[in-house]
Amino acid sequence: MTAAEVASPSSGRGGAFASILSIGTLLLIGILAFSIRLFSVIKYESVIHEFDPYFNYRVTQYLSKAGIYEFWNWFDDRTWYPLGRVIGGTVYPGLTLTAGTMWWVANALNIPLSVETACVFTAPVFSAFAAWSTYALTKEVKGIGAGLTAAALIAMVPSYISRSVAGSYDNEGVAIFALVFTFYLYLKTLNTGSLFYATLNALAYFYMVCSWGGYTFIINLIPMHVLLCIVTGRYSSRLYIAYSPLVILGTLLAALVPVVGFNAVMTSEHFASFLVFVILQVVAIVYYTKRILTPKAFRVAVAVVLTVGTIVALTLIAVLIALVATSPTKGWSGRSLSLLDPTYASKYIPIIASVSEHQPPTWPSYFMDINILAFLVPAGVIACFLPLSDSSTFVVLYLVTAVYFSGVMVRLMLVFAPAACIMSGIALSEAFGTLTLSVKYQIELPDPPTGPVAPVDQTAAGATSETSASATAADLAKDKSVSEKGKETLRERPKRSRKKEKESAEKSVVKKAPKKKASKVLPFEASAVAIVLLLLLVSFYVIHCVWAAAEAYSAPSIVLTSHTADGMHVFDDFREAYAWLSHNTEENDKVASWWDYGYQTTAMANRTVIVDNNTWNNTHIATVGMAMSSPERQAWEIYQTLDVKYVFVIFGGLVGYPSDDINKFLWMVRIGGGVFPHIKEADYLRDGQYRIDAQATPTMLNSLMYKLSYYRFAEATMDGKGYDRVRRTEIGKKSFKLTHFEEVFTTHHWMVRIYKLKPPKNRFRGKNKRRTKPMITDRRNEDPPYLWLTTLYRSVEVKCYLAKVPFGDVDGRQLESFWRHKYRN
Amino acid sequence: MASSTRSQALLLLVVLLPALVAAFSEDNPTDQRVLVLLEDLALKSSHSIFFKSLSSRGYELDFKLADDTKLALQRYGEYLYDALILFAPSVEGHLGGNLDVAAILDFVDSGHDLILAADTHTSDLIRDIATECGVDFDEDTEAVVIDHINFAIEGESDHSLIIGDKLVESDVILGKGGVKDPVLFRGIGHSVNPASDLVVTVLSASPSAFSAPPNAVLKSPPALTGTSISLVSLVQARNNARILVSGSLDLFSDKFFKSSVQKFGSSSRSGSGNEKLAVELSKWTFHERGHLKAVNVNHHKVGEKDEPSMYRITDNLEYSLEIYEWTGKAWKPYQADDVQVQFYMMSPYVLKTLDHNGKGLFYTSFQVPDVYGVFQFKVEYRRLGYTSLTLSKQIPVRPFRHNEYERFIKAAYPYYGGAFSMMTGFFIFGIVFLYHK
Amino acid sequence: MAGGGTTSDVRSLVSSLRSAYAATPVKLKIIDVYVLYALTTALVQVVYMGFVGSFPFNAFLSGVLSCVGTAVLAVCLRMQVNKENKEFRDIAPERAFADFVLCNVVLHLVIMNFLG
Repeated sequence: MTAAEVASPSSGRGGAFASILSIGTLLLIGILAFSIRLFSVIKYESVIHEFDPYFNYRVTQYLSKAGIYEFWNWFDDRTWYPLGRVIGGTVYPGLTLTAGTMWWVANALNIPLSVETACVFTAPVFSAFAAWSTYALTKEVKGIGAGLTAAALIAMVPSYISRSVAGSYDNEGVAIFALVFTFYLYLKTLNTGSLFYATLNALAYFYMVCSWGGYTFIINLIPMHVLLCIVTGRYSSRLYIAYSPLVILGTLLAALVPVVGFNAVMTSEHFASFLVFVILQVVAIVYYTKRILTPKAFRVAVAVVLTVGTIVALTLIAVLIALVATSPTKGWSGRSLSLLDPTYASKYIPIIASVSEHQPPTWPSYFMDINILAFLVPAGVIACFLPLSDSSTFVVLYLVTAVYFSGVMVRLMLVFAPAACIMSGIALSEAFGTLTLSVKYQIELPDPPTGPVAPVDQTAAGATSETSASATAADLAKDKSVSEKGKETLRERPKRSRKKEKESAEKSVVKKAPKKKASKVLPFEASAVAIVLLLLLVSFYVIHCVWAAAEAYSAPSIVLTSHTADGMHVFDDFREAYAWLSHNTEENDKVASWWDYGYQTTAMANRTVIVDNNTWNNTHIATVGMAMSSPERQAWEIYQTLDVKYVFVIFGGLVGYPSDDINKFLWMVRIGGGVFPHIKEADYLRDGQYRIDAQATPTMLNSLMYKLSYYRFAEATMDGKGYDRVRRTEIGKKSFKLTHFEEVFTTHHWMVRIYKLKPPKNRFRGKNKRRTKPMITDRRNEDPPYLWLTTLYRSVEVKCYLAKVPFGDVDGRQLESFWRHKYRN
Repeated sequence: MASSTRSQALLLLVVLLPALVAAFSEDNPTDQRVLVLLEDLALKSSHSIFFKSLSSRGYELDFKLADDTKLALQRYGEYLYDALILFAPSVEGHLGGNLDVAAILDFVDSGHDLILAADTHTSDLIRDIATECGVDFDEDTEAVVIDHINFAIEGESDHSLIIGDKLVESDVILGKGGVKDPVLFRGIGHSVNPASDLVVTVLSASPSAFSAPPNAVLKSPPALTGTSISLVSLVQARNNARILVSGSLDLFSDKFFKSSVQKFGSSSRSGSGNEKLAVELSKWTFHERGHLKAVNVNHHKVGEKDEPSMYRITDNLEYSLEIYEWTGKAWKPYQADDVQVQFYMMSPYVLKTLDHNGKGLFYTSFQVPDVYGVFQFKVEYRRLGYTSLTLSKQIPVRPFRHNEYERFIKAAYPYYGGAFSMMTGFFIFGIVFLYHK
Repeated sequence: MAGGGTTSDVRSLVSSLRSAYAATPVKLKIIDVYVLYALTTALVQVVYMGFVGSFPFNAFLSGVLSCVGTAVLAVCLRMQVNKENKEFRDIAPERAFADFVLCNVVLHLVIMNFLG
């Protein structure tokens, strides 16, 4: 019995109606997925969010302007100055091409859409697609009901929302769709054994490779599954058809993507797939010979093949090891290594560790991001084992690996979310199926059921009932597939009143369901309570998701807001600063900042930057880190060699914006120190503590970052003490002057402070000390003239003196000489 | 008939055009209006030869007393003068019209020239101006340069009238042939900041010289001794403003110009070299010599004319520029074999010496290195006595486009064959498979 | 196991293999020949690469992978049209062949793209 059989949908009466209903539900799920992500547009504005999306936006702009070939060959000279960056060859083009195509299609249809709008709404559109492909995937595993539930769950899972709100124009937005869709097609191929789907699968995989570096997850997960099937004796021709063409076509297609290129066959991440490919060929031959030979002859064949095969396998492994050993990182890229060994990044690559989304997640973030799904997943896993099919093993394997990866890197929670949704969808669907079935039987046959199992909680109910039902799962399948739809509509009721009338119609469908297996049902009361509890749980999930979408994940981070007693404050300093740069600097001026702001500077201010968020060159970033950590003069020299004209820092001390450069400063020191050993982290810490108050080390107080952040800060604060509202302390060094930098612009809330490098001095000064004081200071430092005059007026001698000299002609020098004269005598 | 008149007119225009252009050219680096600040108008007559040589060369000299209260260097933000001669060593505090150190330095920093002479009694004002330009007069205000060996016997017994020992070897600064005759000097010595590449000592003292108060018993060794004492120095600021600093005002005087010199211990007398030195130095300082300009910087691919917005790695390119030298009257082609261009990205990837055609055109060609990035054509030409030329032009270098790589490589033919045989195999197989039975 | 025993075993194995294979329909044999042809071509290219080096790596890769891909796809087709294989009863041979053609077209398009 395979999942395909289980899943064969709506073959009974009312099948047509059921399919229309499910299509309608899917449509609504799609709308839900799209609209729940629009909070950011409603609350803020239609704007690109954060950092990376700005780069993607800029690339899309270029694509829409210059065309695909120019984009493919784009050498960007406005970033990573003076190295430049080959954008066409280092970017995953999937997202850009998708949005570009959407924009182009819209314009071809005479819908005047700006590129920005297309970019902003790409992720929401694709989350609807992702929901639909989740439906298809889960349908392959456990039928339509589970599919619809899973689709509804993923439509609003916070983890996915966090990456795909309108404006969050990043690879993940389309990649999750591609990931789920690839998995779906793999399972579809596995269930049908059709080469057509195998081809589609390879193409979907190609799209995934285009979209996101996470494609390596697919190319490792699928081989793992194949291997699992082989080991557990589940090999079939369908498995062969599902996997072999995928490897060949997929590898070739992946190699077509410039950023992957030969990596598709050269790096260790892909080796597993080739190894499994070879194993699969061997297994296929073995099964084939087994079928055409008598058992005795087969045994002989096995003996022969084993001896030959071992030798071949050993040599292959030796070759592989040799290949891997020749590459410096053993063929693994840093990010992948940090996946396998969670401590790798923090030990060796500060630049990876410095990104917060590369850190391991905390437990609360699981609750925040997947909420109740975390509790439903185990039940779903149990349901997947009953019965175990090729596709359900795959889903379980996906879940297990995704759980591990999400535990390593918070960013990969995103990969985990679909798995969790699928599992929870299965669990919920099974539970509802059993419970509603019970209720229905109780209504129709009022006799008390025999040997019921009282559910303690809903998951246990789902699991236990499923256990008893397993033997007759096939018979029940039809009932379920129909009744699950009822549950699905019920579930959606709190959200959409529109469905009410549909539901009444739907109940008639339920009534037509065959009545049998009364022994498997639960007591009516227990079922009813469990249904209510489940509904409560689900509505809690819905509320949480809406809250997360509306409050937690909609902030674009380029515009900040804060709520205080006297209303909402908007901090639009970033755009203010970028606008200043674009209007007040020369087109080819180079702007230095920490790399976080590189993408935004190139996209919004259109100025050349030294480093940006594509952290491909550690040395270059370290150079900027070193400059920021150095004293003013050295920093000036470093920037001078890089032809930098302007430097800006993000400073939150005045308004209390915590993710400013001073808080990131230790990473600059670490990254700088990683390449330039004279920058030592210990020099910036007082007894291991990072502080900027009077106790801070001189190195810290003299660093460029400190100076640029706190220049004139004490004057600006009300009491003149320089109280930093982020660090909650008074700053250490309050009044100082900048000799090599001059402040040219500081935004309204002081969040961005732009400095210009002063040109080299026109003259070299000699060594002698200055003798004459400048005239202006001369007057200021000594007693001011009016003091002289008042003193003079009061003295009798002066009156006599003034009698000789007309008062109007009295100037400072005469008075001075008089004064001297008077005191000498 | 008509056409011939027209052609004659045209001819006339062609002939006249250069003259017209020259007359209206603003690109004339030589100074025109010079303000001369004297501490005493008597200096005007005692240094008349020097001033006469200036005015005969076309300078408008405006003599003012240093403490003239109506003094002003600029009016409505425009400078009234191109150069300043400051022959007022002992003026204290500030000059008339509230001209102080900062005002003078601003004058220099905006590209104007300065001749500064100190004397045995030099005020702090003058010392500060000199220091700001990288020239440090001896801090002992009483000290003068004394040389008990290389002195002129015409001087007093304190041996403060000395003979400059070593002149800089540069035709650009000293004019053709240099100054052969001994140079008389009476005044204070200075040292130059060795870290500064903007200062050059023109005249330095002999090894036996030292800087100390005359006729005094020395309690400690003098601060400045020997050849490290600079007597006359030139400064060329980064903006090519030129400054002449002399420790002696008398060096420019008629008396020294006309004086014959007999060095102690030598029996021969000769005329002094002061006049030549002073005049040549003033020519240099007022940009009559050693002023270069670079124009028509041009680069393009070999075989093309237009300047591309971007090069590709391994492109062959041609780079050229024209350099002219100002002769005081006209720009004439500069000739040198040591002008170099760098193709620079954090470090020079290509460093080539430019060929020149004798008409001011400097050119070279080279291959773009196999490195992409944002490069610069950099010409940094700094030669003693010449204005420094610093040109940089940014140009990105891109990698190969996807269709610029080599295609149809011979070694790969078997693979092509394999792939195509698979395709034909597929067709044949398809047909056979379909029509079998 | 003695050497003689092994050879005789192998001999009997070969003969039984041959007899078993003889029962295969001609249609499948055509496919087998095709697969064999593809694999031989792949092997030739790998040997050639061993001599010449892997310089135009993309050409090598596409050459070899096109052969391997063809072979794999043909094996897939063979599985589907094999009447003894009960898994694919709901896939008609015509459908299987159409899928096969589609898959091959995609494969060769990619190869063409990657070859140059």
